[in-house]
Amino acid sequence: MNAETLLSIENLRVVFNTRNGQTIAVNNVSFSLRKGEVLGIVGESGSGKSVACYSLLGLIPAPPGNIESGRALFNGKDLLTLTEKEMRRIRANHIAMIFQDPMTCLNPYMRIVDQLTEVLLVHKSMNQQQARAKAIEALIEVGIHNAAERIDQYPHQFSGGMRQRVMIAMALLAEPELLIADEPTTALDVTVQAQILKLIKDLQQRRQLTVIFITHDLGVAAQMADRILVMEKGNLIEQGDTNSVFKNPSQPYTKKLLGAVLTTSKPVSSHAIDYQNKPLLEVKNLQVSFTQSTGAFFRKIKYLVKGVDDVSIKIHSGEILGLVGESGSGKSTLGRSIIRLVDSHAGEIIFDGKEIVTANGEDLKTARRHFQMIFQDPYASLNPRMTVFDTLAEPLIVHGLATKTNVLEQVNQLMDDVGLDRRFIRKYPHEFSGGQRQRIAIARAIALKPKLIIADEPVSALDVTIRAQILALLLTLTQKHRLTMLFISHDMSVVRYLCDRVVVMQKGRLVEEGTTEELFSAPKQPYTQQLLEAIPELDQHFRETGSVKI
Amino acid sequence: MSEIVHIAELTNLEKGRSLTQDAFLRLRKNKMAMFGLYFLLFLILVALLTPWIAPYSYEEQNLELGASPPSARHWMGTDILGRDQLTRIMYGSRISLMVGFIATAVALTIGVLWGAIAGFFGGRTDAIMMRIVDALYALPFTIFIILLTVVFGSSMLLLFLAIGAVEWLTMARIVRGQVLSIKKQEFIEAAISMGLPPSRIIAHHLIPNVLGPVIVYTTLTIPSVILLESFLSFLGLGIQPPASSWGSLISGGVEVMEEYPWLLAFPGVVLTITLFSLNFLGDGLRDALDPKSSRD
Amino acid sequence: MLLFIIKRILQAIPVLLLVATATFFMVRAAPGGPFDKDRSIPPEVITQLNKRYHLDDPLWKQYVDYMGNLLQGDFGPSFKYASHSVTELIAAGFPATLELSLYAILFALLVGLPAGMLAAVKWNTSLDYVPMSVAMIGICMPTFVLGPILLLVFGIWFGWLPVAGWGQVPGDKILPSITLGSVYAAYIARISRGGMLEVLSQDYIRTAKAKGLSTARIVFVHALRGGITPVISFLGPALAGLLAGSFVVESIFNIPGLGRFYVTAAFNRDYTMILGCTIFFAFLIILFNLLADIIQVWLNPKLRQELEARG
Repeated sequence: MNAETLLSIENLRVVFNTRNGQTIAVNNVSFSLRKGEVLGIVGESGSGKSVACYSLLGLIPAPPGNIESGRALFNGKDLLTLTEKEMRRIRANHIAMIFQDPMTCLNPYMRIVDQLTEVLLVHKSMNQQQARAKAIEALIEVGIHNAAERIDQYPHQFSGGMRQRVMIAMALLAEPELLIADEPTTALDVTVQAQILKLIKDLQQRRQLTVIFITHDLGVAAQMADRILVMEKGNLIEQGDTNSVFKNPSQPYTKKLLGAVLTTSKPVSSHAIDYQNKPLLEVKNLQVSFTQSTGAFFRKIKYLVKGVDDVSIKIHSGEILGLVGESGSGKSTLGRSIIRLVDSHAGEIIFDGKEIVTANGEDLKTARRHFQMIFQDPYASLNPRMTVFDTLAEPLIVHGLATKTNVLEQVNQLMDDVGLDRRFIRKYPHEFSGGQRQRIAIARAIALKPKLIIADEPVSALDVTIRAQILALLLTLTQKHRLTMLFISHDMSVVRYLCDRVVVMQKGRLVEEGTTEELFSAPKQPYTQQLLEAIPELDQHFRETGSVKI
Repeated sequence: MSEIVHIAELTNLEKGRSLTQDAFLRLRKNKMAMFGLYFLLFLILVALLTPWIAPYSYEEQNLELGASPPSARHWMGTDILGRDQLTRIMYGSRISLMVGFIATAVALTIGVLWGAIAGFFGGRTDAIMMRIVDALYALPFTIFIILLTVVFGSSMLLLFLAIGAVEWLTMARIVRGQVLSIKKQEFIEAAISMGLPPSRIIAHHLIPNVLGPVIVYTTLTIPSVILLESFLSFLGLGIQPPASSWGSLISGGVEVMEEYPWLLAFPGVVLTITLFSLNFLGDGLRDALDPKSSRD
Repeated sequence: MLLFIIKRILQAIPVLLLVATATFFMVRAAPGGPFDKDRSIPPEVITQLNKRYHLDDPLWKQYVDYMGNLLQGDFGPSFKYASHSVTELIAAGFPATLELSLYAILFALLVGLPAGMLAAVKWNTSLDYVPMSVAMIGICMPTFVLGPILLLVFGIWFGWLPVAGWGQVPGDKILPSITLGSVYAAYIARISRGGMLEVLSQDYIRTAKAKGLSTARIVFVHALRGGITPVISFLGPALAGLLAGSFVVESIFNIPGLGRFYVTAAFNRDYTMILGCTIFFAFLIILFNLLADIIQVWLNPKLRQELEARG
């Protein structure tokens, strides 16, 4: 064994025994880790990348999980044979973890100080005062201002990014040799993600930490890791230096993953969009507010929170307009208010020459026929109790676009359009995968041949390779049916890939707008620049190598 | 021609399995729930057929025999007046089950309507309706029912109404919560944005998805209603003689339990097993309809 | 926090007034007066009695008088026990009922909480199944079946424990408390198991594990507070149920408590007594719900802070 090797995993095999049989989560995986190295483990959901790391610390639920075979030598000791008590000495003390969702990973019932000092009280022989002093130091190190005061607060008083900083401080408190970071930035907004990644990188360099960085995002992996492991369905399929894996991937799956990273901008539409004509949809000075009330019973104060504040946009027939912003920017609210799922308070929405803010009854029904929506979560957007056929046939029949005799034909046509097998039309949504469900949702949206589709983060809940397929499908369909689309997303690379024009929103206001090319090459506003800088830098690797096509 | 094509295509289809079918399969694997279901069906059958299959008539007394322990002629023994206890328990099951089902139906009707209206319309309507429910929750209902029976004398109808009036509150809360959560689901928004008429959205998208918890809670309400009725009858405030429910049989049994313990044991056991069956069936249905709640 | 408590108390007052009003008119609407049953009383005496109890006054005046007295804590005289006021009777019966209820809830918590927590920690093992099956039996076994059985077995057949009374013979409080508490022990076991399972599956418990904490520390320091929240909110309704259950237990074990007075009053049509008891019970139930709410808010730092920020 190499003196520099900190961790060496041999033939690790983890299975889950469920009612429906056995699933092999990790299949004979071997890899090792040198001191001071950052290892990126990349894979899609279900690839076993998290399970492999959790089993090192005995954190997989058993049953149903079971480590069938393998060794995990950490400083020469096999972690998998440790007793629970010995394992506890390892956790946080020698190997620490940070997790994906900082909102749920801190105990809401305990003060930050207690959660931090606990680590020191358990693992180091420190008294309460020493531990507190050390914890404050740690918070300062991860960039929390007023640490001495804030340490006595509860988690809910911190924002998501701040909570992740607290998690990092907590993980590093006992000065572990190894830090396992499981998708630590996935739940965060892009600009916050960039800050947290930088923090981890800084700490790693300053403390000469060894890090395992688990992520589904190749861009993040490229930015963080010295070496990359690629996992698929429990198997370790490729490993090597970050540069060589990204430049010369040897496995088809790795190529597919890399291909799924969107580095290209939208090819110029085959049909020119006529910007001179009247726009298909015009939103003028729209305002949407929500009432919130605070104050107790004697002096209840109601005030308006502006979700969308004086926003005007235009969408021309045949174009895909990207609407970009972080959570809370009002982008979804704007989308929903166009389709009248949310009521607006001021402003006009003119669609095809007709005002629709005031429309109701039959007018609204007709208007809605021409708008369709695609939602983010393909598990929530389909009625779980209706078959695919019923889901697709319902709008056709209600709007009189099909009769009982030809509805099957039309539904089959839709299935073909979105690339689903016709034989599946009698199945229920839960019998499909996430990507297939999103295809059904897209089929439903195009069923009525709408003039405008509003797509609200339609690919952000999907794995990268699936995401690429769905985006390609959307691109094909928009060209084939000459669809107009408002595409709402937080992901700049997706927007660049798909959209003709982009509108950037921040805190309910419109910040910047322009053609995709203009905006990406010469962003005017600092916020837009920030968003662009936050895109992980994988594409640099591609610029050198000339990219892999989808 | 096209007809033939359709049929040819249809035979080629892969049939899906709906959530309801899934749930039923899961339920069938749950032994305790299936035991509950079969016992309940058996009990209902017995109650319905009692006038024809009961071994003795309801009034038939045998004063010479008096209280006798279980025997070949009287499987569950006889009471002090020499009446066959099996027969009395069978007639009692008619009353206990009837109170259970009818009062639950009352609770179901009020609760579902109240909860669905509050949940569907939301806003101010919802706030007012749920405030009323909250206020009623704070009332001592068991005591209120006792008061009612004292003031108006105890009658079956009053029992149905009184018990139903107590139990609807929880049903209303459950239905409202469910409607609110389904209403927020994106498939409802999708249905609205497709321009479907509200009636269709309610009938095809909302109700089928609200039904599960309602069925579960209904199954769990029946035993608590049966229990409440037995409780009142035990105190002598429910079913009045000569009619008897399980509660009044138990009450009679308690008075003589030192000498004739079987007069307490049999109605007690029958009532307990019935409540057991209903609770297990309810738990089983909940696990089957919401696989996440069973945590595996 | 204080403001929240005041607010909840203010909210409770109209509910109490509503109960009092509804009960008052319901009782007055009853067919037949309180003295109808006693055939032996000559009519002129009834007139006199009616006069004495102001039953000949117009209804609105009776109502106003009653409510006025009520606000001063006076429930009026009992119709049946002429020498006693309802307040005196409640004061005589309530201590036993309260003591019984407290012992019962204590028993329920002492048995139910550990059983539920154990079942959750040892989820899906025999240490989960066995207590939960027992709990199911507990829920399905009505007090009025369990009580007599316990009495028969431990009191009469084995002769280990006294079968009746309250505070007269040592050990006579054991059987009634267990009888009344067992159903709630079963409910608490199920609820605390559910609550703990929910909390134990949370991400922050995984964080705690990854920190190398012991199981005991994870369960008691990290999980307990969140896990018992549903138990706390159950305690309000549970205490209300205990009061009703005490009617049965008091009559089985012959305990001179308020529940028995109430049932007796119901049979005797002792209207002022029923009225007084109902209002008193309503008051207790509202009080318990209030306490449960306060504890719940106090346990949850987020809610607590929101309230403090407002107050």
